[in-house]
Amino acid sequence: MSGSHHTPSAGAPTLAETIAVSLARSFSDGEVGFTGLVTGDAAALFGTSIPLAAMALAQAMHAPNLTILLAGWSHNPDLQSLSVMPDSEFDAALRDLPCDAQMMTYPGPWSIRRGDIDFGFSSGVQVDVVGNINSVCIGDPTRPKVRLVGPILQPEHMTLFGREYVMMPHHARRNFVERVDYVSGVGYPGGLEGRRRLGLHHGGPEWVVTPKCIFDFDKEKGRIRLRSVHSEADLQRVVEQTGFDVDSAGVPLTAVPTQEELELLRRHVDPKGVLLGGYGIG
Amino acid sequence: MTPSTSKVGSIADAVALIPDGTRLAIGGFAIYQHPMAVVRALIRAGRRDLTVVGTVNGNEVDLLAGAGCLKRVETSYVGLEKYGLAPNFRRAVEEERIEVVDYPEVLSFDRFRASQENLTFWPCDYLGGTDVLARNPDIRIFTCPITGRSLQAVPPADPEVVVLHAIAADERGNVILPRRHLLPQGLDVIMARGCDTVIVTVEKIVPRALVRRHAEQVQIPAYKTRLVVEAPWGAHPTAVLGRYATDDAHFRDYVAASANPDGFAAYIDRYVHAPADHAAYLERIGAERLGALTELDTL
Repeated sequence: MSGSHHTPSAGAPTLAETIAVSLARSFSDGEVGFTGLVTGDAAALFGTSIPLAAMALAQAMHAPNLTILLAGWSHNPDLQSLSVMPDSEFDAALRDLPCDAQMMTYPGPWSIRRGDIDFGFSSGVQVDVVGNINSVCIGDPTRPKVRLVGPILQPEHMTLFGREYVMMPHHARRNFVERVDYVSGVGYPGGLEGRRRLGLHHGGPEWVVTPKCIFDFDKEKGRIRLRSVHSEADLQRVVEQTGFDVDSAGVPLTAVPTQEELELLRRHVDPKGVLLGGYGIG
Repeated sequence: MTPSTSKVGSIADAVALIPDGTRLAIGGFAIYQHPMAVVRALIRAGRRDLTVVGTVNGNEVDLLAGAGCLKRVETSYVGLEKYGLAPNFRRAVEEERIEVVDYPEVLSFDRFRASQENLTFWPCDYLGGTDVLARNPDIRIFTCPITGRSLQAVPPADPEVVVLHAIAADERGNVILPRRHLLPQGLDVIMARGCDTVIVTVEKIVPRALVRRHAEQVQIPAYKTRLVVEAPWGAHPTAVLGRYATDDAHFRDYVAASANPDGFAAYIDRYVHAPADHAAYLERIGAERLGALTELDTL
């Protein structure tokens, strides 16, 4: 980046960078991570760009053998060659993006039921206290107030993948509810024992990531809990803007990126700011 | 020697194979490569009570929903990807004019694999706790005779008719896929293999000699196809991989028009009812616009 007047190491970490670093640290070498191609500003950032940056950072740090699945089918795409984020799943631009392998049909390279996918990223309009997610409708499903897109791959994400990161681009009471209006992806109703009774012996939501905090789960009890908040001010906002009770006592701040992690993100993973919008931008 | 039978017909022939009430699968995926010339012709013909059984659906279902052609949709997704929710489908569902049966995405693919193998169900073990299972009486619980585990039996897709759009076929009905294809084209093949009435519209009907030089790209052989129709730009406004791109401006106009029923009515008047046929539709879109969408796949 010679000639740039920016100093890559300058500037406090942005929210997107902080979240990407937390995610990156949670991935292990050799894992396969699956992200869809989400569109729309905040939704794309949370659903696709942050996950991609996190996986690429993990590859550069401690997980050189991690496999990135972009849009579920492009294996280890050349993210650095992008000048804009792709916004179409199956067009010529993504077809021509250099990568290790492509999925040209179904069944394809991965065997979803054999557990080939270690973790994935999904989203929904609602998430509830047991970690169920919903992308089907708002209101009574037999006569919905709002019909949304449908379950898509959520049932598979939440059961066949090793673990799931639920990426929520907005944090408002209507998104975080006691009980979702439609369970399209199943969490921990009745805890792990409850999941076993449903015939589910694998997977489930790991984290729920929002612009204000990260939730994880007491999986035995089957209850969502606050893991960290992104700033001191977010602590009160999370309590106010979550539609279920949140125990905020003793909750730490989300871990701060190290200088090495920030430099790798800014110089190597995302030098053009295509994924995270450029350093210094909150 | 007796000559082989030509499968070539017209879009009107295609519509005649899809009467009211047909259980129909439409090729393509989300906003990619749908047989839109046939979809528009179905609306023009006033088809009613169709069931669309699909995987990941988009503007083709939205158009049929808005035009009142649909009774039921079985799928994992109806939406317009970067162009947002499917506005006419959404309105129809919220007003209870269409019944929707929600399936998970991979399972929606597997339903067509079940049809391909002529199975009466596809086994599944991951629907517990979802409303996909709780709200679908067609999915039955059974005990695995080998392990004793409780499993779900998911009904096959079993479309009565499949209609899809491809780049080329010969007169006999051998259908060519581009060498560098992606999941939408791959899923078209699975759909076609699980149905006895397969209609393929193509950008170009080509000589058999050309097909025989590219036999490794023929994924749907002639004995699987019932009807082949030449429909250049037949997927517009969706893309055909390797031939032309999505008509972004048209999609944006479509979404803007669909903000209310009157706007949508004006849209289908202009682009579906007023043009008498596919050729007239292309005239309306215009050569300049179509030319600008052309993609050069190889040099």
